[in-house]
Amino acid sequence: MGYFSMMFLYFDPGLGAMLVQAIVAAAAGIVLFSKNFMYKVKSFFGLTKSQKDGIDTIDFEQDEKHPNEEQGS
Amino acid sequence: MKSKAHRHQASFRDPSGYIVQDGSVVKRVINPIYFPVYDALCEADFFSPLFKAKMLIPHIEQERSEEAIVLLPDQIDLMTYPYEWSFEQYKQAALLTLKLQNFALDRDFSLKDASAYNVTFHRGKAVFIDTLSFDFYQKDSPWRAYKQFITHFFGPLVLAHFHGAEALKMMQTHIDGIPVALIASMLPKRTKLSPTLYTNIHLMAKMEAKHKDEYTPKSRSIKLSKQSLRNLLRSLYNYIDQLELKQQTEWGDYYNKTNYQPESFNFKKEQIQKWIAQNGARKILDVGGNDGTFARAINSDIALAVVADVDHNAVALNYAQVKANKEDNMLPLWFDVTQPSPAIGWANLERASILNRLSAWAPEAVLALAVIHHMTLSSNIPFVDSARFFAGLSPLLIIEFPKRNDSWVDSLLQRKREFINHFDHYHQENFEKAFEQYFKILERVNIPDSDRILYLMHTQE
Repeated sequence: MGYFSMMFLYFDPGLGAMLVQAIVAAAAGIVLFSKNFMYKVKSFFGLTKSQKDGIDTIDFEQDEKHPNEEQGS
Repeated sequence: MKSKAHRHQASFRDPSGYIVQDGSVVKRVINPIYFPVYDALCEADFFSPLFKAKMLIPHIEQERSEEAIVLLPDQIDLMTYPYEWSFEQYKQAALLTLKLQNFALDRDFSLKDASAYNVTFHRGKAVFIDTLSFDFYQKDSPWRAYKQFITHFFGPLVLAHFHGAEALKMMQTHIDGIPVALIASMLPKRTKLSPTLYTNIHLMAKMEAKHKDEYTPKSRSIKLSKQSLRNLLRSLYNYIDQLELKQQTEWGDYYNKTNYQPESFNFKKEQIQKWIAQNGARKILDVGGNDGTFARAINSDIALAVVADVDHNAVALNYAQVKANKEDNMLPLWFDVTQPSPAIGWANLERASILNRLSAWAPEAVLALAVIHHMTLSSNIPFVDSARFFAGLSPLLIIEFPKRNDSWVDSLLQRKREFINHFDHYHQENFEKAFEQYFKILERVNIPDSDRILYLMHTQE
């Protein structure tokens, strides 16, 4: 489409910061995997409360609670 | 764009577009270079779920031509900046940014920047305001805004965790975020044992130092799968989500520590409520407003109460209530009356001072309850200077004056030791005389069972 990402115009992302992401992500993968594993072990023994992992949660509750809220203004 | 509108001074970094101030209305202009992304975002119905969830400031498309698309966003009452947020507010802003990046990746877009100035507080919630921050996701590319996220969000939050909320104020002197090397140098050695802190901060600082003289052509060949990027985001999210302030002191009994009998407390509440309602003030600034107890007591129809306090704990407690009660007309602000946040950035115009922003917002009434004795006796600010300060904020002032025999005043005076005589001017008569240079005293009432007086004043015409 002829669009060249203007991210390259904007600011320097830092070469070091770009390179390090693969390692950060690998470490993150291990941490997430082991947390998840521990969670499964604990929940097998009934030791856990519900697991909180909010990054995927999109919260619409305010709208549902006050459906008339916007109409007044 | 019409000639009367002018580009906002904070808006020069991103070539995608800019903010204009059209009279009192803020608009966003999109440059042709960004049209393909904007159109793709619209086509993917990217915006509406985010509007609905109140994660992104809603806008409507107002004009479209070959040269520009003009968006009219919902107007923000009062912009607050990162160094004016409590720890928990800061955390919410960080989590919001990660959520948005995660949401964007799902739809093959990506945040091209992760500045803390892209977020502000609106109707009780953190909201993302930079609509043009989304770009196409390039397959297997690392996140270009990653370092910015660390220097604007992750670093300051981790520093605050170890050193206290005051660390967040460092953002005031680092408009581009706190340098990674500085963050790394300020963290305790043992943080090198944490996989998250080691990789995101210490290792990054090392890599940055190693590659600082190289240029970027190589970077286009750096690859990172989408799933790896997702893991990175998720682990940052989980880490920040559980982060707490170490110095979380016991708070909440402030009003027990002060010298109020329940009757005087209720009297004060009712009197303030009456004056606010009588004057029809709907925009209130509470200076030294603590956790917002008095601002909340005003049951009349308040559009927005900005509750400013120097005590981080008070601001934190206020925000906790805003969150728990889902209040949309309360804005907690971390604010030192003796050192308000200055204007910073390019030409000192990029981020306005808090006093500038407050006066543009134009509060209809200012509350200054139990604050004048601190200004006068702890900070030595002469009455007449305090009067000028308050007169510059709003025409209507409700101010409480604790008399000399009030126990708080007495304890402040005792701290002056041999200089106690230098504060003989702290008297009701002098207070009134100084304030009458700027205000007309409309009413004064004694608060029962206390040594305090409540005044209603209006600026001189």
